[in-house]
Amino acid sequence: MASRKKILLKVVILGESSVGKTSLMNQYVNRKFSNQYKATIGADFLTKEVTIDDRTVTMQIWDTAGQERFQSLGVAFYRGADCCVLVFDVTAPSTFKSLDSWRDEFLIQASPRDPENFPFVLLGNKDDLEPRAISAKRAQQWCQNKNNMPYFETSAKSGSNVEQAFLAIAKNALAQQNSTVDLYNEFPDQIKLTNTQKPSGSGDSCSC
Amino acid sequence: MDNELPSEFDLIVVGTGLTESIISAAASRIGKSVLHIDSNDYYGEQWASFNFKSLHNCTFSNNIKKHTENSSDLLNFNNDSFNIRNFSAEWHVPEKIGIYCKNDDSKNRQIESVINDSLKLEENNENSVFLREEILNNSRKFNIDLMPKLHFARGDFIELLISSNIARYAEYKSVSRILTWLNNQIEAVPCSRSDVFANNKVSVIEKRILMKLLSLVDKNDNTTGKYTILWGNLQWYNSYFLDSKDKTFLEFLKSKKLTTNLIHFVLYAISQGTDSTSCIDGMANTKRFLNSLGRFGKTPFLFSMYGSGETTQAFCRLSAVFGGIFALNQPIAGLKLDNNRVTSLLNGSQEIKAEHFVLNIEKAPVELVNNLKVTDYISRAVLITNRSIMPSEQEHLTLLIYPPEDKGNSVTLIEMGHLTGTCPQNFYLVHLITKQQSNPKDDFKHVVANLFESNYTHLQVDGKPNMLWACYFSIPNTSDLKLNDNDHLNVHLCDGPDLDLDYDYTVKKAKDIFQRIYPDIEFLPRAPDPDEIIFGEEEQSKLNDVCISETPPK
Repeated sequence: MASRKKILLKVVILGESSVGKTSLMNQYVNRKFSNQYKATIGADFLTKEVTIDDRTVTMQIWDTAGQERFQSLGVAFYRGADCCVLVFDVTAPSTFKSLDSWRDEFLIQASPRDPENFPFVLLGNKDDLEPRAISAKRAQQWCQNKNNMPYFETSAKSGSNVEQAFLAIAKNALAQQNSTVDLYNEFPDQIKLTNTQKPSGSGDSCSC
Repeated sequence: MDNELPSEFDLIVVGTGLTESIISAAASRIGKSVLHIDSNDYYGEQWASFNFKSLHNCTFSNNIKKHTENSSDLLNFNNDSFNIRNFSAEWHVPEKIGIYCKNDDSKNRQIESVINDSLKLEENNENSVFLREEILNNSRKFNIDLMPKLHFARGDFIELLISSNIARYAEYKSVSRILTWLNNQIEAVPCSRSDVFANNKVSVIEKRILMKLLSLVDKNDNTTGKYTILWGNLQWYNSYFLDSKDKTFLEFLKSKKLTTNLIHFVLYAISQGTDSTSCIDGMANTKRFLNSLGRFGKTPFLFSMYGSGETTQAFCRLSAVFGGIFALNQPIAGLKLDNNRVTSLLNGSQEIKAEHFVLNIEKAPVELVNNLKVTDYISRAVLITNRSIMPSEQEHLTLLIYPPEDKGNSVTLIEMGHLTGTCPQNFYLVHLITKQQSNPKDDFKHVVANLFESNYTHLQVDGKPNMLWACYFSIPNTSDLKLNDNDHLNVHLCDGPDLDLDYDYTVKKAKDIFQRIYPDIEFLPRAPDPDEIIFGEEEQSKLNDVCISETPPK
């Protein structure tokens, strides 16, 4: 059943602007933090190879590229996601309150096959900052009502808990892909156009 | 979070059609500050894809509220000249037709039998469902293009996607077969050398004639898009076809002793021409087709997964990645004028300044378009069917060219199975496109009658597929209008979709507008791979080294 094909997991990160979505992926993939990029510029998606249970998988983490700021993420962004990461800022209550609408938005736009069991992971970011507005207990309660969504408190600045959180994200994404792809083999043979693709000359066309 | 937009930009783009989105991406890419704004809450204008319910209930209004302020220096958005017209949608199955599905897993069920009696359906088990409900419940699995497009594998559009690195935002499928309607039945079109040899309907002599013609057309350099072929190689054509220059393509093919069947394949299906297509156009189109063979898959064409509407979003994403600000569902009202120059956009009560304005024609103020009149329309139909027009194991994306009949126009038919991501399992989505003659319903009447069963008596298991649902509409063809002849030099109008199968003309128009605004700056150079951009304080100098033309981080 396990295919030898390279496994690519698509993860999307959602949440209000300036909760630290870009910083989290940058800390995880590049181990860098910068106060400079206030609004997302140039952040696209980052890839990282992760080993889970002896399988090497490539995790592709997609940033919103700032399109969430005025609620303008198009449906294309959500296509084929294997896991959705929700992020809020533990010092900003409004970013916690909007989590429900981000979750709903994801389920509507991505319309996964099995919405009940689609993996979400919640990150409470900026836990290095004071004063704290949302307690861990409150966040965990919210998660309990959402099919026991895993919850991590992170700091993109110090890097605390970031590695652990993304490992859990990768595991959930892989489990999701295993439960759907092998069963339904959803979309085989898509073509990815890249620079490196060798043009095969006139190939089949008539050069005789 | 503050919800106020910044008050000044280099460029404001109004509308999210493909032309506007390409310009938006190209401007952000070279470091211009771009606001990309739309009154709709979805991307794509007349290039958009809709799910089933939103298309079924669509009104095609512009979603622009009339502004009350009436001053002479404000040009109000919205005109009624370029909207989609004549929209009608109808079911072709009775409301209470049930289906019984053999697989009790609701996500993977197969239609096994039909229950014509609604009482029985209720008594039956939970595996039964009404057919209409099955479509409605799967509404979001439908991605129905207003204007579906196929891409030549070596065409200008695909080359641009690859060279600009925008290809990473989308996935493609190759068209699995090309069919035509010949002698009252569906026939496969032999388009490559192996197809020609494998085709048992083509005699040995015909094969030789066809190969000779195809290799004559194909003998040339590596030109790609239609434009380069048409204008770049005039000399080449002159030298080979000097005596054929004023002939029609049909006359030329006859002079090469092609049989009726071969002429049909080459003229109608491969070059997508008509009896009056000129020889030079016919040759150029044939060459465009042949050039794209053998790159991906068995045919020259690619289709973007989940529908053509994804394409505009891919360009918008690149624009956003390079700093473009996106705002949909906005209360845009109009443009402010100062001495014949547009100075700002009025969005609700906020005034936003910019140097240049790019507008979708559907949204343009009346004052800018009152000298433009639409004379051409594109007839469109979308059908949902229960099976393929020519079922086979692997076929899931079919192009069928239906030749012109009675001085009409040829009809392009694209059939999509669920593997294209545009419709749920058990259903097929069929798009019909032609140049409008009378109205969409009449323009497609003969095609629908010959290929589909539109009066429901029972679900067909062989023979013609049932047409379960259909909608018809007309799209104004604005591609031949002279859009940018107005006095407002810093306002640039973008047209809607054209009849061409691919986006070559749209890419060209977007590039023209971009170069009018920003002359001598490269159009969509390759975007660096995400891994090449490294953020972080100590990496600042490196970033500048890697992408010199990038926006400096703010």
